Amino acid sequence: MNVTIKVNGEVHCASVAPETTLLSLLRDNFNLTGAKLGCDVGDCGACTVIVDGMPVNSCLMLAGQADGREVLTVEGLAAPDRLHPIQKAFEDHAALQCGFCGPAVILSAKALLDENPAPTLQEIRDALAGNLCRCTGYTKMIEAIQDAAAVLRGETADGPRTGVSHD
Amino acid sequence: MTDKSKVAEKTKEIAVNLLRGAGEDLRLPAAAPAVTYPLETLVPQVRQQTPAVGQRVTRPDGRLHGLGQTKYIDDLSFPGMLYAKIKRAGIASARIKRIDTRAAEAMPGVMAVLTGREIPVNSFGPSLQDQPVLADERVFHAGDGVAAVAAVTEQIALEALERIQVEYELLPAVFDPLTALQDDAPRVHPPKSNIYATKTIRKGDLEKGFAASDRIFEGRFRTQMVEHASLEPHAAIAQWDPNGRVTLWSTLGRITLGRVDIARTLKLAVNRVRIIATIVGGNFGGKNEITQEPVLALLSKKTGRPVKGVFTRGEGFVATTTRHPFVMEYKTGVTKDGRILARKVRLVLDGGAYCSWSETTLGKAAILSAGPYRIDNLLVEAFVVYTNKTMTGAMRGFGAPQVCFAYESHMDDMASALGLDPLDIRLLNVFDEGSLSPTGQVLQSVVARQSLLQAADRFGWREARP
Repeated sequence: MNVTIKVNGEVHCASVAPETTLLSLLRDNFNLTGAKLGCDVGDCGACTVIVDGMPVNSCLMLAGQADGREVLTVEGLAAPDRLHPIQKAFEDHAALQCGFCGPAVILSAKALLDENPAPTLQEIRDALAGNLCRCTGYTKMIEAIQDAAAVLRGETADGPRTGVSHD
Repeated sequence: MTDKSKVAEKTKEIAVNLLRGAGEDLRLPAAAPAVTYPLETLVPQVRQQTPAVGQRVTRPDGRLHGLGQTKYIDDLSFPGMLYAKIKRAGIASARIKRIDTRAAEAMPGVMAVLTGREIPVNSFGPSLQDQPVLADERVFHAGDGVAAVAAVTEQIALEALERIQVEYELLPAVFDPLTALQDDAPRVHPPKSNIYATKTIRKGDLEKGFAASDRIFEGRFRTQMVEHASLEPHAAIAQWDPNGRVTLWSTLGRITLGRVDIARTLKLAVNRVRIIATIVGGNFGGKNEITQEPVLALLSKKTGRPVKGVFTRGEGFVATTTRHPFVMEYKTGVTKDGRILARKVRLVLDGGAYCSWSETTLGKAAILSAGPYRIDNLLVEAFVVYTNKTMTGAMRGFGAPQVCFAYESHMDDMASALGLDPLDIRLLNVFDEGSLSPTGQVLQSVVARQSLLQAADRFGWREARP
């Protein structure tokens, strides 16, 4: 079957077998390997991408279901001259250890901040509930998301703050 | 001559423009979308700062992780690459009577099938070489691989596994480590005993210590099997080249050890094996050993094509190493005020079907099993036994977390029975500067007491509790 989707702002087509998942389409057809296969059953969240503004487990969505939709992967976040504020904050906070869950966590954070520019600590935790990390834990990620939210709201310049609030 | 070439150039230009003009209606092929990322050089701040303590540390690999540009094994692919899948026994203990792979081999898209008998040296392991790469004559646990398929797609490989027929003769199995200890228990690796390693530590005079004690307490503690579940599944790609060398891209965390094991199983000189490890997506001890690498190498040899294998999450649980379940028996003699005079510890480690890193785990668990306490009279007896379950091996702490759970729970039980504060009984017995460890080591830079007091102070232990 033919699938036409907008990936990171560009329209792309592919001819794939009907059982192809969105994850497989992105990884195998478009070589966008930022989304990872961790469990293949929607438990770990390593395959999270943003489809029409919503974070989605791309291992559970068929490529055919994504036909005509707009997909954002981690590869579409940075601009040629600068990192996305969430990526910058994750780097400054050393929030990623092995990095396997990273692109998915960053996209979950992006979907949250697009919807809610000033999330509470609990709202950030809830937004990351579908993303498992086995290395660093979640504290630094949450701090990075708080920092990135402040930058995106224009409250602080791009860069790490010294203190982090735990409201 | 000159004119002709000019004409040719002109024609070419028109053709390109024509093609470009058709772009509106032309469906774009499945080309990789452009990826954008900053091109300036990343300069880690920390290496320019002295002192580093108190400074923000960024990771040298953090930028690639955040951009999704880190390449893990499953992110790599090669032209003509095949996909491998392994058929799991699903039976804990059996003799393999017959394997029929003909129907799988006949399937379009299936390029090769491999069974255990085709592996040059079908055994490996870091201390005892008791683990087959693929089970050949006997199945020792349900996660054992019995055959492997390389096909042009993962789907075809999975379907081919269904068409492989294996005839088993069921054999008695043992699943509980305490049952496995008994003389009449079924032997996992006959004629060998189920007990494959032991460790004993003796210090002082145990009987005298118990005789001098006011109270004697006994406790039994058990822990369960744990899988590392690193977020990245085990994965590898093998390419056998016409020079008789094999290159393996693998998630192995210990590539030099793995290289020796792979060379041994393939009956190759070590310098014929090249291992390329990229960034590991979580290890925790679970990627210390080879798994499917020799299988992929041989499938690549058979097909002349690169072969990739990625374990499912389920395979990670049943067919890779796990944390040892422990059965821990503690007997401790104390004075009325809680001073420990004697302790006897018996540890039974459930090793699963193969040895793996059991000897390391056994040693570390035995040495640490008395806890960070001054005990003059001590006996530790530790055993690790085979059972027909998934093998156990390295996992963060090598047995230390299991015994810590036991000796600290035992300490709380004793404090409660003696009417003592759990903090006080620890302060009374804890290691000090110059204390002797169970193996006679004189300990230095000991801050256990200070740590206990500081922790108690920080979370208000002495304050009234409901």
